[in-house]
Amino acid sequence: MEQIVFGIGITALTGALATIAGSAEDTESNIGSQGDPNSQVQLAPQMGFVHRIFNKAIAGEPPAYGLWCALGAGLAWAFMAMQINAVLAIVLGCVLAVLVQGVYATTAYLGRTASLAKFGQPVYVDILKSMTSVTMAHAFIAIFCTVTLCHLINGALGHPFPLPLLGLIWGIALGAAGSATGNPYYGKERQYQNQKFGAGVPISASGNIVRYAEAGERNSLDNGWFTAKIGGSASGVCFGLIVFLEIWRTILFEKISAGWGAIIVGILMILIFTVIDRYIEVWARKNYGPYTEAKVAS
Amino acid sequence: MSVKIEVIEGGIPHQKIMIGGLVSTLVCLYLTYLNVLTNTEMFAFFGGLAMITALIWGSHTIKVLCSYGIGTGVPSAGMIAFGSGVIAMLLATKFGMAAPIVALVLAAVIGFILGYISNNILNMKIPAMVQALTEMAVVGALSLMGFAALITGGFTFAGLTTGEVSMLGMTVSSNQISFIGGGLIAVAFLLGAIAIQHPFNACLGPGWKQDRMLMLTAECGFLSMIVAAFMSFALISAGSAIISLIIAILGWAYTYNQYICLSKRDAAAWLDAKPIPDMEGL
Repeated sequence: MEQIVFGIGITALTGALATIAGSAEDTESNIGSQGDPNSQVQLAPQMGFVHRIFNKAIAGEPPAYGLWCALGAGLAWAFMAMQINAVLAIVLGCVLAVLVQGVYATTAYLGRTASLAKFGQPVYVDILKSMTSVTMAHAFIAIFCTVTLCHLINGALGHPFPLPLLGLIWGIALGAAGSATGNPYYGKERQYQNQKFGAGVPISASGNIVRYAEAGERNSLDNGWFTAKIGGSASGVCFGLIVFLEIWRTILFEKISAGWGAIIVGILMILIFTVIDRYIEVWARKNYGPYTEAKVAS
Repeated sequence: MSVKIEVIEGGIPHQKIMIGGLVSTLVCLYLTYLNVLTNTEMFAFFGGLAMITALIWGSHTIKVLCSYGIGTGVPSAGMIAFGSGVIAMLLATKFGMAAPIVALVLAAVIGFILGYISNNILNMKIPAMVQALTEMAVVGALSLMGFAALITGGFTFAGLTTGEVSMLGMTVSSNQISFIGGGLIAVAFLLGAIAIQHPFNACLGPGWKQDRMLMLTAECGFLSMIVAAFMSFALISAGSAIISLIIAILGWAYTYNQYICLSKRDAAAWLDAKPIPDMEGL
């Protein structure tokens, strides 16, 4: 019984860490225009819309975060193997991983922008300086929380996988959660605020992303500020739920029929979430967007 | 079926880069045997250099392959390079002195099979596919071997799976503290997979330049070498790890600086805190 209570406590802690990680990850990727909104930022100058948006394309979010978290965890593992205190080892490992992330971000922006010279897109040094540091700060929070939750899973719950491998797995999960949950909000709503709500992106509007703000010109910090409110928290809740429910079902039901209990509960949860998702989708289509009207008209 | 959307204009031809990359990678990998000959770990940094030369060759292969619209994105190419390479690399570590050659042959066979499957069974029908996937599997296997040599000082299977832990003054042999048992191979996998795809992914576009992209590859390689050198502190002597670290930092600082200069050369303008310029006709 005590074992289960201890396990549930660790589960709650990892869930909380994952929520912070997810929220920081989505804000970071939105400031960097990583993931699927990137195609429009990349396309805009080619359609004549030169902009001041940060364009940091380092693979998709899942592989990129797979690397940052695996790297943070690998370095933390190495420092712990050198008998350094776990807290210090994790912080040092994450700092080094964030430095790698920052360097990749600058080279990605410089490379993409220099290759668009034909369309007159200039390199903005102020964008490079101010956005990179902000993405690094957010990435540090995301990586630190993820590596810490991996360490808890490994150390406190006794997971057999070594820390770097857990970092890889949960890093990819973190990137996937942020990419799937938070990005549509930035890519479809923020970049196309000048289009009809819920209308999608018509081909004629391709690349015509919002470039001007209430006063002056918009940069990616404004996008981070905008998406942190809803997109970021939604990603946080998504990743937090994934981590929490995953560990919760293992802790409570692993003992039932040699591990099959946890698998059956997992399948049941997938079915329940599928029903909820379908219900929300139908409800949203009915209440928002032009979908139903268009169908009636045709 | 697929349209070639970009052509290589000028620069060094791909065959030359391939041969140069292959030869220098194998030479650097064999130079890590100086560790065995001198009974030290001081020459582990040659593993890092092998990894960098392999990545330079591999990133140019990705450029050749991804000039065709392959429809899966550039990063997927890096993943398949290391995914197919890791099988060959792990098997080859069993062969002692012949390991790099065995890895080369095995990876080429695996890459060729994967290329055949994608082109003829999945019907992707991309002319460069078979050769590119073969090359990339070899690059993946050899650069993982380079990472292994850099972090552990060698690439024998026994050396990669066992380590030593000192506990209360006693030295105990353990599988946990090792390149494979500790999961560092997962970090090496992603370090290489991102470093190989990033240069072309970052430099693609109408203004693509070969020298800028290859300089970026060297920069990514040295950057990966810095963090791998930090991890090597856990598995090899501190002095040897410091040698790797200093070489990595010097190489990284030079290539990063050069890359920024090349980007400045190619960019339309280099502005600091300036508004969006007025474009003609808009």
